[in-house]
Parts: sequence; structure tokens; C-alpha cells
Amino acid sequence: MVELVQPEKPRSRLKIYLDVLSAIQAEGEAKPTHILYKANLSYDRLAKYLEELAAKGLITEKTEEENRYFVLTPQGREFIKEVRKAEAFIGGFGLTI
Amino acid sequence: MIEVASQILYADALLNLASGAVALLISYYAFHFNKLLENSVLRFVSFGFMMLGMGLLVEAVTRIVVTATLKTIVAPNLLLSLASAIYLFLQVASYFVFAWGYALGAYTQTKVGAAFLLAGLTKYQRLRRYYLAGFAVNLVAQLLSIVFLAFVVFQGVLVYSRSHNRLSLMVLVGFTLIFAAHLVMLASILAVSGLLLALGSVIRFAGFASMLVFLIRSGRVGAAREAS
Repeated sequence: MVELVQPEKPRSRLKIYLDVLSAIQAEGEAKPTHILYKANLSYDRLAKYLEELAAKGLITEKTEEENRYFVLTPQGREFIKEVRKAEAFIGGFGLTI
Repeated sequence: MIEVASQILYADALLNLASGAVALLISYYAFHFNKLLENSVLRFVSFGFMMLGMGLLVEAVTRIVVTATLKTIVAPNLLLSLASAIYLFLQVASYFVFAWGYALGAYTQTKVGAAFLLAGLTKYQRLRRYYLAGFAVNLVAQLLSIVFLAFVVFQGVLVYSRSHNRLSLMVLVGFTLIFAAHLVMLASILAVSGLLLALGSVIRFAGFASMLVFLIRSGRVGAAREAS
């Protein structure tokens, strides 16, 4: 039997970074639960990616009344802008991030 | 007649200059985004457009400088021949790189013109061998370019049919126009037609203009996505 529908490729690390950062950008100050829902990640994986993004200086963590929030740094906003432009550019050559 | 031929070839050099600038701009952006994305196909795009842009600029600048210095563009000149050879080599190599990159991504002159060019030839009989050698080199280069570009255009059609992305359509239109330009240039070599050569250059420039529109639009689309 011929497979007519190709299985969806797993997201690249960069795509996951972009999804997480976009989720934070949409909220302004985003709670982890909101990010994992919007970025479609398990809690363990989200914790790993948030740690990586914070280490790269793209996000910072804030704590208010025992609630954790994540906000974009200026570098994080610039990173999203660059990745969006790169995504549009490579789309012209049939590539995706 | 010689004067007209000189003007056509001078305009051709200016178009090549503009096309080369666009090619180098695309190469720069592909290189810049590759630092972020680390994609092998993007490396091929960057390297291919860099070779094509360098070749176009070397050929165009040499022709403009030699014309300005010698006041004739039809007379055979060793420097021009060398610049043309470098350009043709880089052109064929760049189209090969594009074809390779796409494969990688997909599977992992009128009679009047002839008359004045031939008039130039008879005037410089002792240097005929330059033309004959140039004819053969040009013919092979055009044929190879057409083969590689046909593959690139085919891949471009596949990419567009899958994505229906307006930006990939602009890239496809760009490569299709460059492909059509090389068909016209091949005809210009066979017909020894300066006007056909100039027409080929205009079509190729239109291809690069499409690429420039793609570059500008991709920047805007990226900025719009970021804003939304």
C-alpha cells in the first residue's frame, strides 16, 4: 500500500526556540504553563529549553508573589526578528527551519 | 556599425554589473542567515551566488575599463578574453552549485548585428583565433549553463507546487528568466548576433531583478510575521 500522507517531521531545535520565544512575546510576561501549552512541549522539555534560552541571554526569569514569569530580553526580540526574516528567505528556496 | 556594437556591449556590461551586485547581495543574505540556521543548502545558495556575482562583476568591470581605455570594445583583447573566461567558468560552476544544492535539498543580435560583428572580425584577421576559441568556450559554457539551470528550474517548480509560497514563486521566476536568457545567449552565439546577446542580458537582468524583489519582500514578510 502506498503511503499518501507523509509523516510530519520533528521540529528543529531552532523552531522550538522560536515557538517558545513567540509564546513569551505574545504574552509579554508568560507563565511556564502558558508557554508549554502554546509551544506544545512537555514540562521536562520546556524546562530544558527555557534554561538554554536563559543561558543564551534571550529570556529572563521574574518571580512575583511565588509565580514564575519569563520575559524576552532585547536580544530575544532581535533573535525572533532575525529568525522570522531567515524563515521567509529560505522559504523562497523551499526550505523550512 | 562598430560604434553601435560598442554601445550594445557597453550596455550589456552595465547590466552585468547590476546583476552581479544583486547576486552578491543574495549571497550575503544567504551567508548571514546560514550563520543562524546552519543549513547546507543555504551554504550552496550563498557560494553559488557569490561565484556568479564575482564572475559578472569581473567581466563587467574589465569590459568597462578596457572600453574606456582603448575606446573600442570589439577589438580582441587578452584581458577581456581572460575576464570572459573567468566569468564563464564561475557562471557554469555557480549553476552547478545551485543544481547540486537543490538536489541536496530535494533528496536529503539580428542580421545587422551579425554584420557589424563580422565587420569587426575582418578588420582584425590576425586575431581571429581569439574569436574561434572564444566561440567554442562560450558555446560549451552556455550549453552547460542551460543543462544545470534546467535542473534548477525543474526543482524550483517542484518547490513551488508543494509550497504555493509567493517568495518561492519569485525565486522560480528569477531562475526561469536566467534560464531563458541563456537560451537566447546560445542563439546569439550560433547566429553571431549582438542584439540577441543584448536581449539575453536584458532577460537575465530581469531574472536578477526578480531575485531582488524576492530579497526585499522576504525581509518585509519576516518583519510582518515578527510584528504579528
